[in-house]
Amino acid sequence: MDPDLALWLMVIVLLVVIPVLAALLAGVLKAASSIPPRIDAIAGVAAAASKDLDAVVVLLTTQNYISQITGSVLNYGGSLNAALPDA
Amino acid sequence: MKIQVFIIIVESLVIIAALAVYLTLTILQLFKINAGLASTLTSVGEIVAKTAPVNGVVDAINANLVTARDALENLHLKKAGPDAAGLVESLFPGEGAKFLRRVGKSGKVVNVGSVYTRGVGILASLGRGAPIGAAHVKGPAVRDPKYSTTAASMLYPRPGGARARPKSPVVGREPVHSPYEPSASPGKRLRDAQGRPIEEGEDSSSAQTVQAPRPSGKIETGKPSDSGGDAPPREPPPRMSVKGTRPWER
Repeated sequence: MDPDLALWLMVIVLLVVIPVLAALLAGVLKAASSIPPRIDAIAGVAAAASKDLDAVVVLLTTQNYISQITGSVLNYGGSLNAALPDA
Repeated sequence: MKIQVFIIIVESLVIIAALAVYLTLTILQLFKINAGLASTLTSVGEIVAKTAPVNGVVDAINANLVTARDALENLHLKKAGPDAAGLVESLFPGEGAKFLRRVGKSGKVVNVGSVYTRGVGILASLGRGAPIGAAHVKGPAVRDPKYSTTAASMLYPRPGGARARPKSPVVGREPVHSPYEPSASPGKRLRDAQGRPIEEGEDSSSAQTVQAPRPSGKIETGKPSDSGGDAPPREPPPRMSVKGTRPWER
């Protein structure tokens, strides 16, 4: 093979590779650039969700109330059991 | 140097430069992503920490509610008997079958509300021999949509009709317990009108001495009578209140 021909082939291959490589790198950069805004949005939503969950502590009070109400309902049922005749 | 070699070198330099520029920019974006994920991870960690006790609390609440529900359903089943599922169905359509499944029974659920007026079925199930209880569940509705309360009150006939009310007890003519009923034995007065103790045998004489004067029918003045010259002057009657006994009122 003629060495000149080989060099010319190399030149052509590189000329083809350069735009393809540039396109691929541009695509990667574009994809990477689109991630930070979405992450910022997710961070804002997560912070808001974390703030909303501050009311979860009230569930302990609700649990206490439910326990008391259950006791009252059971006492009421016991009274009804004694007051009403069976079927 | 041949021209081909020069072109190859230039192309290689262009490729290296492009790689350097794009990769550098990509690395910068990755740093931004890393920082954003770090801040997001902090908030997500807070969310996880705050929601950690929720499961236990909700389980405890559910356990309490299920306990109360089971107790009330068993009570309902005990009191309402075979009409229990029908009553549930009448109040919460579609829940009668679930109620039957929960209490471990099977059968067709008949909506009691479509057969009885609300409350009549319960009264009839109390075992007072109500005629409403004789109706078949598959028959037409045994109720009067206009006068349902009258229909319910007709279950318990009383003299005078369904609307009759018991009369009030008579007070005054022949009272059962009168506060003015005379005593069977006469009482004995222990003190006279002036508060002096009455001895035995003195009762009748003292009663005569303290007899009140009969009304003359005329308007009497407050001047004491001088008919009995030896009688001491009367003292003014005591006041009914303490007014006038204070030093500044004398």
